[in-house]
Amino acid sequence: MKPANEFLIKDEQVFSGALSCRGCGWSLLVRHLASLLGPDTVYVLPASCFSIISGPYPLSELKANVVHTLFAAAPATATGIRAALDRQGKKDTIVAVLAGDGGTFDIGLQALSGAAARGENILYIVNNNGAYMNTGIQTSTATPYGAITTTNPGVGYKKTWPKDLMGIIAAHNLPYAATCSLAFLEDFRKKVKRARDTEGFRLLMIDGPCPPGHKTEPGDSIFIARLAVETRLYPLFEIERQHYKLSYKPGSFVPVDECLKHQGRFKHLFKEENKMLLEDIQSHTDDNWNKLLAMEKLAHVLGEF
Amino acid sequence: MKTEAPTHSQSILKGNFATAEAARLCRVGFIPAYPITPQTTIVERLSDMVSKGEMDATYVNMDSEHSAFAAAMGAALAGERVFTATAGQGLFYAHEVLHAIAHFRLPIVIANVGRPSIPWNIWSDQSDSLAQRDTGWIQFYGESSQEVLDTVIQSYLLAEQLNIPVMVVLDAFYQSHTSENVWVPDQDLVDEFLPPKKPGPMSIDMENPKAFGGLVPPEHYNKLNYTFWRDAIQVEERAEQIAADYARMFGREYHNVEAINIGPQTRLVLVTVSSITTTARGVIRKYPDVGLLKIRLFKPFPKASVQEALRELPKDAIIAPVERNFLGDREGALFQEMQRALYGAPYRMYDFYAGAGGKDVPPETIEKIIHIARNNPQDVNWVDIA
Repeated sequence: MKPANEFLIKDEQVFSGALSCRGCGWSLLVRHLASLLGPDTVYVLPASCFSIISGPYPLSELKANVVHTLFAAAPATATGIRAALDRQGKKDTIVAVLAGDGGTFDIGLQALSGAAARGENILYIVNNNGAYMNTGIQTSTATPYGAITTTNPGVGYKKTWPKDLMGIIAAHNLPYAATCSLAFLEDFRKKVKRARDTEGFRLLMIDGPCPPGHKTEPGDSIFIARLAVETRLYPLFEIERQHYKLSYKPGSFVPVDECLKHQGRFKHLFKEENKMLLEDIQSHTDDNWNKLLAMEKLAHVLGEF
Repeated sequence: MKTEAPTHSQSILKGNFATAEAARLCRVGFIPAYPITPQTTIVERLSDMVSKGEMDATYVNMDSEHSAFAAAMGAALAGERVFTATAGQGLFYAHEVLHAIAHFRLPIVIANVGRPSIPWNIWSDQSDSLAQRDTGWIQFYGESSQEVLDTVIQSYLLAEQLNIPVMVVLDAFYQSHTSENVWVPDQDLVDEFLPPKKPGPMSIDMENPKAFGGLVPPEHYNKLNYTFWRDAIQVEERAEQIAADYARMFGREYHNVEAINIGPQTRLVLVTVSSITTTARGVIRKYPDVGLLKIRLFKPFPKASVQEALRELPKDAIIAPVERNFLGDREGALFQEMQRALYGAPYRMYDFYAGAGGKDVPPETIEKIIHIARNNPQDVNWVDIA
């Protein structure tokens, strides 16, 4: 059997010196993404960690055009850029939004929904690290149940479930949307290529390791990202025109504790008096997984993709 | 004003349709749109023209004014000539993006049909655009539909020469929905006046990739402001030059400000913008010692043009701005700007709040203002408060 080498970056499209924290997912994500999209790409960045990581004026990490735009406005800005490029005959130029979860789940949701519903030919990448990390770990509607942030501190930990962004985006009947993990690079790269080669509005959500925000060891980022998939906390799946397909089914049952225990933001869950919370998270995770299995079955009933 | 010109055709047009005609004649390539009364018929007309192939533009129904202006920003960055229109809450909602467009130095032109903020009111009022004075946009206020059409065409040239966006403001209903006789220039004439848009310094170039708008450290940021300021202070002179070229080619003459009956004989000067000017023009015919100063370029406020217009005004004359705006301050916007332009000048100035929220300003109200200004003015006067 040939050794796996489908994750090697052959055509580097970033410069060294990105300003990411140690163990941050953004740099790895963008290195792979940019190498697959190539230089004929315009990146659109709302306020986000990556807007900082990619470099202050006059620097730029990317070897392509980068437009930093307003927090709520990335899909709309991208709409204008796309329209202009199309008018100029540059239909092959890729317009890619790189956003965080705050810019996607919260302040940018209307513009995202608008662009998705219009079927804009835009590739939307959301690095979901589960909070406003750029401003210092404040709760977003992507923040997991039970997590501690600076705006849900101590016993005020987050007591609501994160928004089902993929369900919302699926309802827009997109040609392609998928969840990805940096611990599953071949799967991630395959999905980037598919999204790249699909026309219309495409969205990829990547589980974003964030050592300062998640209170984890930088060296554990990929290890924890893999556990998130194995525990089914972060399932990998694809959606084509509302048809779901799981990309990976863990071979054996791994309880959510195995992933959560490595993250300081969930430390309090392991106190005896909070045992119920862990059970809640396990049960919600099981429900969510079963729902995905059912959605996959539904896709079979409706016709495979 | 010329009544015949072989390079024009005559139409009866509502102000909003004259505005749409102007955008078509300027060959705008991208129109992101969102409906709001009383602007809506501008974008409706544009979408109709695009769908019929009467103009070659990409028209997109956006999800909000915030998104419409952000899309305008994106397309302008990628090199297109862009137009959109809004009003009131739409302009307020786009406020953040207005700053971004100006500071990205993008030569976008928009029309704003003025209306105030909630509690709901859709009628003529300039509080919306005047609240955007400090966003970095150039602002023109049109007295007639003809003037709005002509000003939109001039605005693209001005915007693209200086890389500063322009807002052309119409009065709600009095202009937007009122039909007037409008001379619509032929496409050839407009093409001769307004060359195709060239890529600016802030244009996406696939051959020479750059990052736009990333974090700018303090010393660089201040330099950016300086270069913006250096161009902004040229607006007044450049706008006059462009209007002069336009007058030569199109036969209609405009200035940053217009002085009517202002001379040694003048004891009182009314200061107006937009359609109130037309009413005042009629009224002052009865008053040989009353002059009128119309402000067409409002931002940057044309200080030199105002001073020049008042050059022969006697030192003991009275100046009376007529406000169709309320910005929560003691004095209205017109008074504030006039004070700034005339700092150190000897005139007495009394402010008149008259027409906010669409309240009609008929000739009788103008006469009342003249009477109060001459006889018993307060520093700030509210006219016709029920």
